[in-house]
Amino acid sequence: MARFNAETVKLLGSELFDYEFSDESAASVAHIIGAMASYSRRLHGIGLLGIQPPFGYPALRAEADRIRRILP
Amino acid sequence: MSSHAEILGFDVATLAGKIRAKELSPIEITDAYLERIEALDQKILAYITVTTDDARVAARKAEDEITHGNWRGPFHGVPIALKDLCNTRAVLTTGGSKILGTFVPDFDCTVWARLREAGAILLGKLNLHEFASGATNTNPHWGTCRNPYNLERIPGGSSGGSAAAIVAKMAAATIGTDTGGSIRIPAAFCGCVGMKQTWGRVSRYGVLPLADSLDHTGPITRTVRDAALMLQIIAGHDTHDSTSSDEPVPDYVQALDGSLKGVRVGIIKELLNGVSDEVALAFNAALREMRILGAEVDEVSIPHIEMSSTIATNITFVEAAEYHEQWMRTRPHEYGADVRRMLEAGMMTPAIYYVRAQRSRAAILAEALKALDNFTVLAAPTAAIPAPRIDVGGRALTDRGEQVDMVAAVLRFTAPFNVTGQPALAIPTGVAPNGLPVSMQIIGKPFDEATVFRVADTYERARGSIAEPKL
Repeated sequence: MARFNAETVKLLGSELFDYEFSDESAASVAHIIGAMASYSRRLHGIGLLGIQPPFGYPALRAEADRIRRILP
Repeated sequence: MSSHAEILGFDVATLAGKIRAKELSPIEITDAYLERIEALDQKILAYITVTTDDARVAARKAEDEITHGNWRGPFHGVPIALKDLCNTRAVLTTGGSKILGTFVPDFDCTVWARLREAGAILLGKLNLHEFASGATNTNPHWGTCRNPYNLERIPGGSSGGSAAAIVAKMAAATIGTDTGGSIRIPAAFCGCVGMKQTWGRVSRYGVLPLADSLDHTGPITRTVRDAALMLQIIAGHDTHDSTSSDEPVPDYVQALDGSLKGVRVGIIKELLNGVSDEVALAFNAALREMRILGAEVDEVSIPHIEMSSTIATNITFVEAAEYHEQWMRTRPHEYGADVRRMLEAGMMTPAIYYVRAQRSRAAILAEALKALDNFTVLAAPTAAIPAPRIDVGGRALTDRGEQVDMVAAVLRFTAPFNVTGQPALAIPTGVAPNGLPVSMQIIGKPFDEATVFRVADTYERARGSIAEPKL
């Protein structure tokens, strides 16, 4: 399995975002994402089973209503 | 007739009384502040744009209205300034960036529109960490703002200009924004009051976003009463911002009844470790003062609060990267190195981490609300340390010259209340022996800013004034 390293960051940046990472920033970002992966796995420890993200339909509807008022 | 020095010493509440009684003119107040900015700002760099001519025109208009009996309220004729993330019609709004270095909006953000309607006078736009993306306020494009207490120290960020302007008496009140602590951190480091109110309490329309889910726009002021006066004007639903709450806005100033009897203050025990001696000493002294004032003070646990830095980081990186994607592809070299690095990390953050972080928020909020079942408000230090040193490379340094871990030093104290969206107010607890301010936060239930103000105001009156910077 490929490691998430500077080379991976550069490839993904180029393919997904048409963005060129420098060698230095790719290495730094690879390190940041590695740390983020580790910390993000720990979030399971909170006990997230059954918890909804805060993306309720009222919020969607309110934003759509706002946009509708300014549509031509 | 007051001298300019006397005028600059008055907080907004005092100015309002003197303006209404026609003891002071908005013109002389505005002149005093413009003179102060002229004298001091070259060494502090709190301002990006000073709107001298417009401020004088507005001051004459305010004077005319008040002379003819048309006093609009406590901010009528009071000179204020806005963080340069806030759109102001026909006035440069840079976001602290090179990318928006020549951007002039054709509309006002709602916060400024409401303050303008209330008769406030705009002195100018305030320096910040580029695109609100950091906590040091070092800025490669507009100059690094300095801490008025020690010009070799950071003011904190990202609303560093807003806090520095208050403490250096270059504005009577200011507006900042807070996504992970950017109102409270500079308030803590600069020794003033910073209110991050409940998410959605104040419209974000016309304010450049960092991370929509976590962004707040709120007051940075000299006193708690001034913050309450300012929030009174800017709070409330806005049809331009569908995320702004239609929760009724109570009378925040009337709630300042000066009593802590019956108040139970919960000290968040997970945020008591890792603080410097001077922060701990002043925090404990503040808690003793609150006990003397009649409050019961005890420890409370929010077991997973330490996860908040991860949650806030995941959300901020991704939402900021999405907003900046076009500019990152077309103008990447125009970003400062630290901001560019953050946005690059956001581009690479898997969506699964973002969604997990968003789901985690309800769990942390549930723990905080459970803690508040038995307490009126919660309390914690605002930051682990006083203001660090500025480094030529734009980092923040300890006194020993090591790079400060800003997550451990500040973000872990402030980010939890962006994650939960609760109101959190930073208030100075004193000035440490090294001459730098230290601070604590009072945190309340969602939409209970009135109680947060009441507790903080009562403590502030008992604490008395803190030593001012020697400028």
